[in-house]
Amino acid sequence: MAAYSYRPGPGSGPGPAAGAALPDQSFLWNVFQRVDKDRSGVISDSELQQALSNGTWTPFNPVTVRSIISMFDRENKAGVNFSEFTGVWKYITDWQNVFRTYDRDNSGMIDKNELKQALSGFGYRLSDQFHDILIRKFDRQGRGQIAFDDFIQGCIVLQRLTDIFRRYDTDQDGWIQVSYEQYLSMVFSIV
Amino acid sequence: MQYGGAPGGPTFPGQTQDPLYGYFAAVAGQDGQIDADELQRCLTQSGIAGGYKPFNLETCRLMVSMLDRDRSGTMGFNEFKELWSVLNGWRQHFISFDSDRSGTVDPQELQKALTTMGFRLNPQTVNSIAKRYSTSGKITFDDYIACCVKLRALTDSFRRRDTGQQGMVNFSYDDFIQCVMTV
Repeated sequence: MAAYSYRPGPGSGPGPAAGAALPDQSFLWNVFQRVDKDRSGVISDSELQQALSNGTWTPFNPVTVRSIISMFDRENKAGVNFSEFTGVWKYITDWQNVFRTYDRDNSGMIDKNELKQALSGFGYRLSDQFHDILIRKFDRQGRGQIAFDDFIQGCIVLQRLTDIFRRYDTDQDGWIQVSYEQYLSMVFSIV
Repeated sequence: MQYGGAPGGPTFPGQTQDPLYGYFAAVAGQDGQIDADELQRCLTQSGIAGGYKPFNLETCRLMVSMLDRDRSGTMGFNEFKELWSVLNGWRQHFISFDSDRSGTVDPQELQKALTTMGFRLNPQTVNSIAKRYSTSGKITFDDYIACCVKLRALTDSFRRRDTGQQGMVNFSYDDFIQCVMTV
């Protein structure tokens, strides 16, 4: 019995499954132009970072920004053009909706219990202890709760680790056997 | 009894003679522990980065978690000393490969550096590591250190589970993600 089965949820592909409908192109184009400050036609990591808010009055996590841009940048240019940006917009909007859904006390942060609900809502079956570990690793604000940008990054890493574990768990019993080198190559690109 | 120059730290005999203690004590509080921010300041002041730019905060966080055995998010003076000697070793390696003193090495030199450090990794693994850490095809000193720290932390986490010293480990899903996330 696989201890980690999950149905596709937010972050399982380039974006949460049941997501926001795309607004019209002229709206998105306006947003794009405002974010693309240097009018290069490409939104860079730093331009996207400046446009996003994590609700803590501190800069949006640059690692999360990098993860998102690289997810949608199909030309390896370290940025997104307008067409790719529409994907970015939807992705972030969907995450905002997810975050709002699980931030049940509307504190602007997700605490351990809300995190447990969120991850189990995505279909993960994880130990209680794991949630402490995730918060400790991703919470950059140091408050034992997790802000919007760190929440996204934590979920992205969890999804990537789960995907790679599955790839090795060919008999789907929830166990893998790996050598040192396999372990390194599995994990190095993710964390 | 007053030991000169050491504001409020532990005062066992001999410790204040250690020059490293000066840097450490300058940033550590009453609890004798430093976090990632303080480590960054401490390393910058000590000049360990030599002619190279100081470490970025993320690298310092990695260093704290590498030695943070009690998972407190901070390190004490003994751990700092351990870190210092490890960093010095890695820095010597980097210098020996940065022949043009540019402050960067290329992926091939990274491969050689990893091998001389004793990591026996297959070419594909090294390639993906190099790709992960290069900016415009070059690896800066800071990223090189981040790479070394991560390699060492991952190696330690694997070894701790390889109790039979087989070079193979069985992971359950939960164990795997916990193990990786605590690195």
